[in-house]
Amino acid sequence: MASHLDSNVIPPSRQRETPRSGLTWIGQSMKRVEDPRILAGKGGYIDDVTVPGMAHAAMVTSPHAHARIVSIDTSKARALPGVIGVYTGQDLARVVDPCPSFASPPVPQHAIVLDKVRHVGEVVAAVVAEDRYVAEDAAELVEVEWEILPANVDIEASLEATGDAVIHPDDRDSNRALDESFQFGPVDEHFAAAAHVIKRRLRWHRSSAQAIETCGVVAQFDPISGSYTIHANTNFYNFIPFVIGGSLRVSPGELRIIPVLAGGSFGSKVFNHKILIRTAGLSRLAGVPVKYIEDRVEHFTNSDSHGSDRLYDAELAVMEDGTFKSLRFTVLDDYGAYLQFGVGTHGNAMAQVTGPYRIESFGMRVIAVLSNKTQQGPYRGFGSEVTNWVMERMADAAAKELGRDPVELREQNMIAADAFPYMIPTGNIYDSGNFQKVLAEAKGLFDLDAWRERAKALRAGGRCVGVGVATCMERSVYGPTEWWSLNNRETPGFTLTSTPEAITARVDPSGKLFVTLHSPMVGNSPETVVTQVLAERLTVAPEDVVINYSDSQSGFNSVGPQGSRFTAMIAGACVSASIKLEERLKRFGAYMLQRRPEDVELRDGCVAVVGSQDQKKTFAEIALTSSFFRLSFPEGEEYDSGIDCTAVYDHPISTDPDPERKHLGIFYPIVGHICHMVAVEVDPGTGKVEILDYAAVHDNGTIVNPRTLGGQVWGGTANGIGTALSEQFLYDADGQFTNPNFSEFAMPTANEMPRNFKLGHVETPSPYTEYGVKGGGEGGRLGAPSALTSAIEDALSDFGVTISSLPVTPPVLRGMIRAAQASG
Amino acid sequence: MKPAAFDYERPNDLAAALELLSCEEDTRILAGGQSLVPMMNARLARPKRLVDINRLPDLDYIRDEGTHVAIGALARHRDVKSSRLVRDHLPVIPAAYEWVAHAAVRNRGTLCGNLCHADPASEMPALMLLLGAEMVLTQASGTRIVAASDFFLGLYETAAGPGEMLTEVRIPKPARDTGWGFEEVGMRKADFAWATCAATMRLDGGRIAAPAAAVAGVGDRATRLAELEAAIEGQAPSDSLFADVAREVAVSLDPPSSVGVDAQYRRDLVGTLLPRALAAAARRAEEAKQ
Amino acid sequence: MKKTAINLTVNGRSRDAVVPPRMLLSDLIRHELALPGTHVGCEHGVCGACNVLVDGKAVRSCLMFAVQADGCEITTVEGFSAGGLDLVQTAFWEEHGLQCGFCTPGMLASAHELLAENPDPTDDEIREAIAGNLCRCTGYEYIIAAIRSAARKMRDAETAAKRQPA
Repeated sequence: MASHLDSNVIPPSRQRETPRSGLTWIGQSMKRVEDPRILAGKGGYIDDVTVPGMAHAAMVTSPHAHARIVSIDTSKARALPGVIGVYTGQDLARVVDPCPSFASPPVPQHAIVLDKVRHVGEVVAAVVAEDRYVAEDAAELVEVEWEILPANVDIEASLEATGDAVIHPDDRDSNRALDESFQFGPVDEHFAAAAHVIKRRLRWHRSSAQAIETCGVVAQFDPISGSYTIHANTNFYNFIPFVIGGSLRVSPGELRIIPVLAGGSFGSKVFNHKILIRTAGLSRLAGVPVKYIEDRVEHFTNSDSHGSDRLYDAELAVMEDGTFKSLRFTVLDDYGAYLQFGVGTHGNAMAQVTGPYRIESFGMRVIAVLSNKTQQGPYRGFGSEVTNWVMERMADAAAKELGRDPVELREQNMIAADAFPYMIPTGNIYDSGNFQKVLAEAKGLFDLDAWRERAKALRAGGRCVGVGVATCMERSVYGPTEWWSLNNRETPGFTLTSTPEAITARVDPSGKLFVTLHSPMVGNSPETVVTQVLAERLTVAPEDVVINYSDSQSGFNSVGPQGSRFTAMIAGACVSASIKLEERLKRFGAYMLQRRPEDVELRDGCVAVVGSQDQKKTFAEIALTSSFFRLSFPEGEEYDSGIDCTAVYDHPISTDPDPERKHLGIFYPIVGHICHMVAVEVDPGTGKVEILDYAAVHDNGTIVNPRTLGGQVWGGTANGIGTALSEQFLYDADGQFTNPNFSEFAMPTANEMPRNFKLGHVETPSPYTEYGVKGGGEGGRLGAPSALTSAIEDALSDFGVTISSLPVTPPVLRGMIRAAQASG
Repeated sequence: MKPAAFDYERPNDLAAALELLSCEEDTRILAGGQSLVPMMNARLARPKRLVDINRLPDLDYIRDEGTHVAIGALARHRDVKSSRLVRDHLPVIPAAYEWVAHAAVRNRGTLCGNLCHADPASEMPALMLLLGAEMVLTQASGTRIVAASDFFLGLYETAAGPGEMLTEVRIPKPARDTGWGFEEVGMRKADFAWATCAATMRLDGGRIAAPAAAVAGVGDRATRLAELEAAIEGQAPSDSLFADVAREVAVSLDPPSSVGVDAQYRRDLVGTLLPRALAAAARRAEEAKQ
Repeated sequence: MKKTAINLTVNGRSRDAVVPPRMLLSDLIRHELALPGTHVGCEHGVCGACNVLVDGKAVRSCLMFAVQADGCEITTVEGFSAGGLDLVQTAFWEEHGLQCGFCTPGMLASAHELLAENPDPTDDEIREAIAGNLCRCTGYEYIIAAIRSAARKMRDAETAAKRQPA
């Protein structure tokens, strides 16, 4: 039978290192290579950077959500001793063009606004001064006269805005930035045939990553060469020159971005091009190197990394026997005042929108809404954390309406373990999995049956105790088509298809393996992963691997850690490099041993004759000879001095979207699977939720380092607990952001975490990546909100409460309980 | 996020400090700085001059004065929280301190500074009202004593005038058989309270004697609940009694509404937490008899 | 602006500085004394990344003015590792008690204060001691494990030292 997916042919696997047991380093909880210097306080973060002659910037920010600038007077600020310069948007525009936008058509954005502010905290002028204190003094002296415009705060009302409430009136006559509809398969037919159509209106509120380090830049313009040298804590340093070069009016090669250790990202340091452009421009205008580090309030209000803010009207078509047949929804997403990557967060969600279930078709209308809030950016999950929650809410809703057990109904609909690779309606594939095994493992770890009995008994005694289960996907290793595949087909924008990762490696004459990475460390474990994979593949001792980082002029072809891609991608680059180095080591080594290359092998850091114990040359001997004794080898390029290589690894398996968007191609195929089970108690009088027990089982394929993966799962789960229970950006009717601080934006502390968290793993290796590795950096946040929501709903089942919105803070929950008490 | 410029003085004795406080407007005392400095960093507070009292001698005491416990201006939260004397006579104080900020903040912050800050969601002002404390206000020209009930005047507002320093708090020791209860809800444990309820009482022949109750976080200042106290005095403690009187308190309150936390929620919290605090106080009073 | 000369002992070394009254202790340590291991995360006293030991007590260095530290003894993360990673740092390494490491110096200060007062803390006591230190990476579990392990190491070291003949 013809299918909309027929043209989406799965390419053959390019895997070179098969998953297997008996590996030496891969699978070990090796202590991290990165840690000693960080523990000693010598990590080297952005604010640790000092360059000679450096000045400091402070920003004049908007107190209004939406206002025209009538006038700006910087004279008092300029007159303050210690001030080098004060610059408005018009000043900056002399040296800088608008920010890049992956949206198509783009929504124009300036690093300092020209004539109008569109959210609280947006920059209207910048001060460069001798120190940060004086810069902030001067910023206070800048006088701005405002004409207040109507603020758009509500997601639905924003769509109806007209006149002065339109946020970008020069470019579009409404606040609807994009409105696209998709049908993947016979959605209407499936809904027509359904025995039950489950409907829910679901709201996911805005929050953001809030890494403990904010974003920062130290920029220096050299007027003689016309080039910039920039230190920045971006995840993206070998890619971002191509993104911002145009804005800075230089070629990417004239931008030298020097990476630093980043104090956490979770997405927030990926697209931080705005402060790069602004700070670079300021250094050019002021004629001195400029440091700008966002303070916490600026990071909250102006860092362009707010997370999803969505309203779904979702429908699930269910057959009489409980089979999930089709899913469709209309989603409004409040993107804030700009649209830097279009609806990439929805593109991402298309990777796994139907969850672990055999759902045959899927339809969507996505509407990007502009509002007077800070622009959205990446945040752990990149939109898939929301669709995971939507899918799980719909599964729970179906169970409730059909009178079925929610876990058993999930099991009934799960993709079978022998059905992989499995193509979902959007065209993405799930490379492998065993969802049933993960579920079984979780049931055992949590003792689901016992907890359900206990919860029931406690509820009978008047306590509000409940159990929640979520079975979710954790897609990893993205391809960049997600950024543009949902754009308007006539104007899709920059349709890139490469997001490679690379390393440079060299065996030096002392025998050490020097490796250069082209992506930064942001709290992940790049050096440890590379050390483990190279030690495995080249039989060297981990302590003989020495790791450095390039800058953007010496590096290349790397996109960095996002979308849970880095471990799989860098493992691929390490294998590629190993193959090249092995070939070279064997050629030189074999010559030195007077053997043919095919007669030797790598063994314990040596090139050794196969079958011989003592006929061998250490890598040090080979590298020393090949580096310094050219005349010891024959003529010919292949014996040119030195053992080194460069290796690039492209996405392991991806395809283009269908030109008519019948499907989106394969773009996020390396899938993990997670099952979270949680027991909670709600205090009905206060709405407080206590987590009584928590178990998480994750399948992230072959595990390189169990301890570091455990850290990711734990951290992601903490993040998801915050998302579910306490973290929300709150705006008043005027668009004032009321809680942009750590006192009121309530991220979990050690006190809020579950006391007895149990972590389990299943390993279903990927058939496409080296060693079968999958990503695992987001799973906690991809599962915890769903499991907690289910558990709370279960705990409050006697009140008949339905949870359709996150977070459920104590006041929100108490409000639901109060309403139920009043009506019941 | 850097503070605006200010002049700084660090006197070495109390007289010098009081002299400095008396002679210029817009002078603030810098004690622990754990409330003042964040506000200065955000430039929400910008005093012209700070008088740093941290080097004043002999003001960090926690002293047994027979009928009351005297706590000096430089006694840190940490020391009050861990004081044996306070634990023995005023056990509700260390219990409440579990909800006050975090260890590093308690290491610097002072009880007297916290009281002068008069944050409406802060725990200690409610406890001072509950325990009937007295505030010793000192200025260059002399000393006056103000009851806690006359000290907290409103949002961040106290009876301490310009030139006055809260040099000591005197907290009467309750009878040994006094029971206490303390309940609080905020988003996280150490966050500002959405509602705090505290109570003490004795039981005399199974009847409530000398009851006291106070709330915080539900108005512009902490409040002692005199009507409730009158209503339960002489009654036998029971859940229904406590629920009834708490309901009346909740209805009578006019708590603030903020985005995400509405007034009704705060009323609900009082309705829930106050009976728990009263019941705990009754239970402990009962235990104290045995 | 009037500046004040101060002297303080930082990681065992006497340091002089001339500071304006408003300079935060965190800025003094990081930028004037060039000890960037102390991190600044919020500058409103919530995150704890800037915690240092002042006379042995953990304090928020963003909530103290440098001038107030005149005459004080300050220990920063650089001081903990003056002779190589100390027992607490080693435990953090072994237990994977850090990811991005930005909160770590403040965590270490809190852990040191706790373990100096309480050599055998319960998990809940550890939790309470670090509840004023926000970490966005770890979910805290391995930090708690690290402090538990450090406590054991320190107790063992103490016992071993006592067994040594004088």
